[in-house]
Amino acid sequence: MKLNVKINRGEHIDQFEVDYQPDMTVLNVLDEIYQHHDPSIAYRYSCRTGLCTTCMMMINGRPDLSCQKTAEPGEDGYLTLAPLPKGKTIRDLIKEY
Amino acid sequence: MAVEKIQTDVLVIGSGTAGLAAATYAALEDKQVLILDKGALGRSGSSTGAVQIAGLGDWSHEEDDTERYLEDIYTSGRGLSNPNLAKTLVHDIDQRIQDLIDWGLKLDREGDQVSVSHTSGHSLPRSVSAKKGKAGLGLLHTLRKKVTKDERITTLSDVMTIKLIKSDERVVGALVLELSTNKFFLIQSKATVLATGGAGQLYPITSNPVQSTGDGFSLGLQAGATLIDMEQVQFYPVSIIEPQSIAGLCISFYHNSKLFNNKGERFMKYYAPDTLEDATRDTLSIAIATEISEGRGPIWLDATDVIDQVKKEFSHEYQLCLDRGVDLANKRAQVGPAAHFMMGGVRIDADAKTDVEGLFAAGETAGGLHGGNRLGNNALSECLVFGARAGMNAAKLVDDVTVSILDANPIRINQYGNHRPFEIKQHIQHSMSSYVEVIRKNEGLREALNQLLNVREQLENVQISNPDVYSREIVDYIEAQHMVNTAEAIVRSALERQESRGSHYNTDYPDLTSTIKHNLVRMKNHQFQVQPEEVESSETKR
Ligand SMILES: Cc1cc2nc3c(=O)[nH]c(=O)nc-3n(C[C@H](O)[C@H](O)[C@H](O)COP(=O)(O)OP(=O)(O)OC[C@H]3O[C@@H](n4cnc5c(N)ncnc54)[C@H](O)[C@@H]3O)c2cc1C
Ligand code: FES
Repeated sequence: MKLNVKINRGEHIDQFEVDYQPDMTVLNVLDEIYQHHDPSIAYRYSCRTGLCTTCMMMINGRPDLSCQKTAEPGEDGYLTLAPLPKGKTIRDLIKEY
Repeated sequence: MAVEKIQTDVLVIGSGTAGLAAATYAALEDKQVLILDKGALGRSGSSTGAVQIAGLGDWSHEEDDTERYLEDIYTSGRGLSNPNLAKTLVHDIDQRIQDLIDWGLKLDREGDQVSVSHTSGHSLPRSVSAKKGKAGLGLLHTLRKKVTKDERITTLSDVMTIKLIKSDERVVGALVLELSTNKFFLIQSKATVLATGGAGQLYPITSNPVQSTGDGFSLGLQAGATLIDMEQVQFYPVSIIEPQSIAGLCISFYHNSKLFNNKGERFMKYYAPDTLEDATRDTLSIAIATEISEGRGPIWLDATDVIDQVKKEFSHEYQLCLDRGVDLANKRAQVGPAAHFMMGGVRIDADAKTDVEGLFAAGETAGGLHGGNRLGNNALSECLVFGARAGMNAAKLVDDVTVSILDANPIRINQYGNHRPFEIKQHIQHSMSSYVEVIRKNEGLREALNQLLNVREQLENVQISNPDVYSREIVDYIEAQHMVNTAEAIVRSALERQESRGSHYNTDYPDLTSTIKHNLVRMKNHQFQVQPEEVESSETKR
């Protein structure tokens, strides 16, 4: 199965077609992109258990934890990711702490 | 390109509970402190996941005291607990928890009483929590607030330590990389505290966060510090194995649940007939790993009988499983041991001093307190007690130090190398999980050592296609270098221990030896040296 992913990287929006299994989280999808599509993709995470909140990003238009959220396409057929609007974005999906 | 220099009195590397405590107490001695973290400050370590903290206080069980607590640590440590560290822990913990309460920590309560829970291996209920079963978050919030408000403390997120710098046999600071700018800095400090947490990421299935790549053990080794009993890696016995997206999640309520093998047997009756699942972590891990290796896996956890208690006391774990399709109210979960905690580590004394002048270590990076098996909830206590001691004692070092400016770019960026850094990390994880897991054999340990040599060769030929800021490839590359050093220290220590003690279980030497020894690992001229040292004290022998 494939999942279409759009990532808002500031100056441009990149699209990826990613191998996908139904129990994947958004974070699993980002790992897949880093390892097999684009090694320059930047995202932050730590605990993978919904506690540290450092993996928070906009997922299909809503703020959510990427390690907890199941990867699913939005209404337009894409899983759309963007950095949180508040605060400074260092790169791609990474906010400044 | 010259490397810019920053000066401070005390440098703290790592901002989990131990690092934040060290920074707080050093600043209370009126020192300038710089605390940095390769991730988001105060949010990137194992501390985040901790559920409870063990200790003493006015809430303690009426029969509890320092003697009884000490006795439990010694029994659990299988003769390897350092008595000076254990005594310090039980002596200081009451005051350290009280400090946190004074700074705003609220312990979880049942009515007007502090809730005090039983944990396997503690002879009395001794564990408390905060933020409804999220003690780690509670401690981090309290300490983070303290640190960010203190003008004597500078905090830096996304700054990674590459190596410690020495001058005249003394640690005088560290070379670091600021990920958000890709600039190197030389931090010059009168004292340096290593508080980089553990090394769970050496294994593919772990409870640890992504940052737990064993950097502190490698940094310590390279600076001439001694590592003690590195073969003593604690596996959390009952962790989720499937689904993959939550693999490594600790099931904190295993001691109230039932474990079954694939024959439907409650197999703990063969290994620990008196306690069943309420056994210490080493016993339980070895039992589960034996069941799996003898073909009776997978292992299943059944929590249906205690589900109301689980939903109430461990709601976060219950909900995480539910969200990923495992409803523990009516379904068994596939479980097994996952890499959890490093009981070995940088050798310290009761003042949190390492063997190297100017260098302190605290928290999971320090070794020796827990010996062969850490009691549940004693890790956070260790962080508070020795983090505080590291900070207070680091603040006593007042001699000025000088560091010469480095010129070389310490990272070789090669866009056309053959090995991707994340793949190298996976190779290390594969070797460690194949040969240096719960059940070990001499042949396997030797094979692991060979494979780690290959990994070192791969590290000479790394491909970094993205040299820009916040390059995950650069982070993976630096981490892989630390990981291979820490992995080698574990394997060499494991080969040295020709017995099965604590969490080190070698089927070629299934028994205990009569003489108890520590394994000390050092690095001299880039070569590892392992030296056994007989345990002198008879107090800890059980
Ligand atoms: C899921 C889970 C549950 C647990 N539950 C409990 C419990 O209930 N009770 C208990 O007592 N213990 C528990 N433990 C163990 C305990 O949480 C840890 O041992 C303890 O929190 C470690 O704290 P620390 O300050 O030593 O390190 P950490 O909290 O791991 O912090 C280390 C920090 O150092 C940073 N760092 C690492 N390398 C570098 C570098 N090269 N440069 C800069 N920064 C670096 C990391 O990013 C991290 O922020 C649990 C552990 C886990 C993983
Ligand atoms: S990685 Fe910690 S909340 Fe998602």
